[in-house]
Amino acid sequence: MSNVLVILEAIGNDLAAISRELLGKGRQLADALGGKLAALAIGPTTAVAAQAGNFGADQVYTVQAPALANYTTDGYVAAAKAAVEVCQPALILAGTGFQMRDFGAALATDLQAGLIVDATDIQVVEGAIQATRPSHGGNVINTYRFAAGKPVVALVRKQSFPEATAQPERSAPVTELAIADLHPRVEVQAIAPKVGAVNLTDAAIIVTGGRGLGNKDNYYRLIPPLAEALGGAYGASRAIVDDGWVPYEHQVGQTGKTVSPKLYIAAGVSGAIQHLAGMRTSRAIVAINKDPEAPIFRIATLGLVGDVNEVLPLLTEEIKRRLNR
Amino acid sequence: MHIVVCLKQVPRDNSVKIRPDLTIDAEGIEKIINLFDEYALEEGIRWNEQHGGKVTALSIGTPEWVEQLRRALAMGATDALLLNDPAFAQLDTITAARVAAAAIRKLGDVDLVITGRNSTDDESGAFAPALARLLGWPQLTYVGKVLELQPGGAIKAERHLESVIETVTCRLPAVMSVIKDINEPRYPSLLKIKRVAKVEPPVWTAADLGLSAADLTPTAQLVERVPPPPRPKGEMIDGPDAATKVRKLVDKLMEYQVI
Ligand SMILES: Cc1cc2nc3c(=O)[nH]c(=O)nc-3n(C[C@H](O)[C@H](O)[C@H](O)COP(=O)(O)OP(=O)(O)OC[C@H]3O[C@@H](n4cnc5c(N)ncnc54)[C@H](O)[C@@H]3O)c2cc1C
Repeated sequence: MSNVLVILEAIGNDLAAISRELLGKGRQLADALGGKLAALAIGPTTAVAAQAGNFGADQVYTVQAPALANYTTDGYVAAAKAAVEVCQPALILAGTGFQMRDFGAALATDLQAGLIVDATDIQVVEGAIQATRPSHGGNVINTYRFAAGKPVVALVRKQSFPEATAQPERSAPVTELAIADLHPRVEVQAIAPKVGAVNLTDAAIIVTGGRGLGNKDNYYRLIPPLAEALGGAYGASRAIVDDGWVPYEHQVGQTGKTVSPKLYIAAGVSGAIQHLAGMRTSRAIVAINKDPEAPIFRIATLGLVGDVNEVLPLLTEEIKRRLNR
Repeated sequence: MHIVVCLKQVPRDNSVKIRPDLTIDAEGIEKIINLFDEYALEEGIRWNEQHGGKVTALSIGTPEWVEQLRRALAMGATDALLLNDPAFAQLDTITAARVAAAAIRKLGDVDLVITGRNSTDDESGAFAPALARLLGWPQLTYVGKVLELQPGGAIKAERHLESVIETVTCRLPAVMSVIKDINEPRYPSLLKIKRVAKVEPPVWTAADLGLSAADLTPTAQLVERVPPPPRPKGEMIDGPDAATKVRKLVDKLMEYQVI
């Protein structure tokens, strides 16, 4: 038990960025454990299976069945168990999207394995797997050591590790695994795109407005245009989501989304601890607030004391001018 | 129909401290029902109002926690159940699910378990899937809308994922976790709060649930627990007027290569 198994995800015809991260880190951990790096493509993901070899895998497994056309817990857990059976991994790596959370916790429970969700670091220490995850809105950083002898399922937070670089001359054998008749108990009857879906978690730039925007009309007049000028997405504090100005999809914080963009602009946001929980790991934080004592300034990379009504239109114009938009 | 709602006790905010023995010190921070679990409770109560039967508020916690279970009763839960034992003090998500699963099995006639999508302190979202696997029941996570719920039959619901909505169905019994969009939790009336003020919910221990120390031992050992590294010190942008400050700000953003 010294192998590492990566559960692959695809976006269109390519491996998802998270899978490239996991293959990069997985390679390093497999070497530290003295084992092989394997990858598993389930159902439609099989289309990108061969790419895993270019990114460092020694062996690729695929599992295909009509019942795997859509994600179901039962289907994916059964497929993963088939790979675990042949690969005997010490460590199973996957991402942290909703489906992977649904899957990873179920798989770990079935395997009586260790489980770590939102891992931001994984190491091999004296032959044992050690992994780190934040909790309590990022206020606590926990490191766990797992006993040898049982596999560990680690769901890794995006952008925790550098992506593996492609080595076009490298490849790995792709083996299809047989799987017994599958009858997932949950039936997927329809999949519809989410109307007005905002992928805040993936946005490189986020502009968030808070109660300091005064009212809903003012929020929409000032915040989305700045986000658009920057090519980013717009977020909101809970205060204004609860007041019905902005849909919940946009909420950042303890009970909203956890984001970590390269630039986070908080305008008219006080910086309550529950808000900070969702954005404190952003690379650069800009705070715009009329109150110089607002707590948001304590974690800001750049702080500007001013009235949003005056500052935001100027900022949007200046950005458009400089970026030629 | 019998619905069980799992309620976790969490600090109102996460400004917790770390004790020398690495346990979490949340002293002085009010303990509340995990926000997402309030939505789970509201959903359970609404379906109970439609179909009748029981809705049991179940929580692993200390005796003070009965106060919050009473709040659940005042909102409309028909029963409350506290799982309390010194051995439950340091559970991880999967062992906590094992405790809840044992209680749900002991209750015997449960059709549906509802939980929040995750707790706001641990934030893993692993509880509902772990519980479902331990019970051997199907799971529907991240549910934003329940379309149909037929006692003794099936459940049909929408799972609200990052960019799609899945319509899914399975037979009962099942485990479901819900998101914040699903409903608007009610506030219990003063009258109802008064009516349940003296209710003493039953308390089950590890022995009552037939759980051994081995069942409650986490698979991982905590070796380090620290506060996050401090953010590099920030900089305030000065200037005689807003236009100057904005120009300086954009200069900095370009210098930092974040735009
Ligand atoms: C269990 C729990 C969970 C929570 N989860 C979340 C969460 O996920 N996300 C979240 O955001 N909050 C959350 N909160 C709420 C949080 O505690 C705060 O209440 C909320 O973040 C405040 O939002 P705000 O900053 O928009 O409003 P306020 O705190 O009212 O701040 C408004 C700010 O705008 C400034 N301002 C006013 N007018 C102007 C102007 N003209 N120009 C410039 N600045 C101006 C003010 O100085 C002030 O700093 C949670 C609370 C609890 C109890």
